[in-house]
Amino acid sequence: MKASAPPSIRARLTRALLVSSLLWIFAVAAAAWLAVHDEVDELLDDTLQAAAEGLRGPLSQPATAEPPPASVAGSLPATTGSGRFAWQVVDYPAGGEAKLVAGSPLAPAAPLRAAPSSGFGDSEEWRVFGIPLADGRRWLYVAQTHAERQEALAEVALSAALATLAIALLAQVWLQAQIRHELQPLQRLAQRLAERDPQDVGAALGAAERDELQPVHRAIDELTQRLALRLARERAFTGHAAHSLRTPLAGIDAQLAIALRESPPELQPRLQRVRTAAHRLHRVVSALLTLFRSSAAIRLQELDVGEMLPRLAVEGLRFEIATPLRLRADADLLAAALLNLFDNSLRHGATRVRLSLPRSNVLRVHDDGAGVSPEQRESLQIALAGQLDAGGSGLGLLLVELVARAHGGSLQLPAVEQGFAADLDFGRQQTAA
Amino acid sequence: MRLLLIEDDDILGEGLRDFLTADGHRVDWCRNLRQVAAHDGEPYDALLVDWQLPDGSGLDWLRGRRRRGDATPALMLTARDLLDDRIRGLDSGADDYLVKPFAPEELAARLRAVSRRTAGSADARRRLGEVEVDLAARTVWLTGQRIELTSREWAILEALLLRPGRIVAKADLERLVLGFAAEWASNAVEVHVAALRRKLGRAVVETVRGIGYRIGSER
Repeated sequence: MKASAPPSIRARLTRALLVSSLLWIFAVAAAAWLAVHDEVDELLDDTLQAAAEGLRGPLSQPATAEPPPASVAGSLPATTGSGRFAWQVVDYPAGGEAKLVAGSPLAPAAPLRAAPSSGFGDSEEWRVFGIPLADGRRWLYVAQTHAERQEALAEVALSAALATLAIALLAQVWLQAQIRHELQPLQRLAQRLAERDPQDVGAALGAAERDELQPVHRAIDELTQRLALRLARERAFTGHAAHSLRTPLAGIDAQLAIALRESPPELQPRLQRVRTAAHRLHRVVSALLTLFRSSAAIRLQELDVGEMLPRLAVEGLRFEIATPLRLRADADLLAAALLNLFDNSLRHGATRVRLSLPRSNVLRVHDDGAGVSPEQRESLQIALAGQLDAGGSGLGLLLVELVARAHGGSLQLPAVEQGFAADLDFGRQQTAA
Repeated sequence: MRLLLIEDDDILGEGLRDFLTADGHRVDWCRNLRQVAAHDGEPYDALLVDWQLPDGSGLDWLRGRRRRGDATPALMLTARDLLDDRIRGLDSGADDYLVKPFAPEELAARLRAVSRRTAGSADARRRLGEVEVDLAARTVWLTGQRIELTSREWAILEALLLRPGRIVAKADLERLVLGFAAEWASNAVEVHVAALRRKLGRAVVETVRGIGYRIGSER
């Protein structure tokens, strides 16, 4: 199952910024609404009062059914379609009903006040300011609709919100760039780690670019120091193991060489078999030591397999090489792998081994031994892929697989009509040193 | 050849000593540097030195010997097979470097090769007038006829051939041929040299009166 990608710091920060910006916009709009609500009310009331006081003079003419003269009308406040203001002159005859004497076009047809009322008051639709005219019978009412006043308030709040939005958007762009910039040290740290020489595991990472990265640097440095220590211990152990294993093996071979010289002829074949087994043991031990030591340091070089074969000194096998077998691999590891494959061939009754390059940097070793059934081949391949005991194939094939894997490749067991074949893929790291 | 083998492992040391002795060499086997000190001043045709010894480093011992001007051919026998180790071993004065485990046959062959090269020749065959010697096959011919030599006669001939043109003192020749702490009759070398001359001709070994013997470097 494909693992889902971990959450992105940049995406999470962006989301957080977006949410905080939206909250900020609403908060600013609400704060603006609350802050300007009373002020706007007061301002509009002052305007109503000022308009009423301005109209009072011209309209304090003797009562008449005629509209105010043109000179007076021209000085009256605008009562355009925007409907900012409306005014009425209402006559209150003694004992009679209130009568609308004059009014602006948008003023309601009925008097805004049934009874004389000075100062501010509210009706269902209107905010009204009343003031008596000079005769004391007529009253001037200047009014404004509540809807108009609400609209003015909403405009103020919206303007504040839009300004906040603009600032928030600019801040988003700037913060995005800043986040990218601040995350770059992390990318550079990753790059430095990726480019690090595996041979130089003990080297310190250097100074952190940001204070927050210092714990990461410290942790990585501590980890690499622990790894270096462990590597040094393993190398020391390998050195001791090499000495402990190689010297007795050399002693066994020297003793067997003497015994072969001194023994009666009938014992010599048996002693020779013992010596051959000792040589096999040499090869396995050498391969193991080489592998353990070389896991961190593969030394790639151009190799001619044909030239290597005489140095491997394998008795009992005839080699067939059609063309020069050139590939790029670690010489010691390749020798260890070949020795194990040849050993495997010998154990399975092979007398002839054909070496070829079916693909670039892939070496095929094909013997004429007993081979394996398709089922066995499949189970071997599965065991090798899982680095498991390949049930009966012994350590040899597992070592060969380790060699291939150390090169970044793998060991494949292709189906062949006769014998047993192994494809040693040495990977494609052609540019490595 | 007279060989000094320094190897602390009993099984390997004994095996190599017996194998090389069976090949006709005289082998002094020391298990540690303390035992080696008892052999200071002894002439050898080659040194077989293990790097890691119980009381010190065989490599350091060899380096010290080289600093004192000793040029005896030396083979380093060691389990240390890293490239850096091999380079260090050779740079410290070893003429060859053999990684354990090795077949004693290979050690013997490398020993012969190193000795030949040290004696100034890459060829195992030497010609001394009408005498031809194959150091690898331990065979001698006089005018094409194979001549049988005793082991002592061969040892004297080989010791002188490995030092072509150089005078080898009689005492050194005795120790090279017989080995450490052995006792010979005082005229034993003269007797074997006389036998060699009888078989190969008088000119083959030159006597430098009062000093020792010499074989020319003619090939």
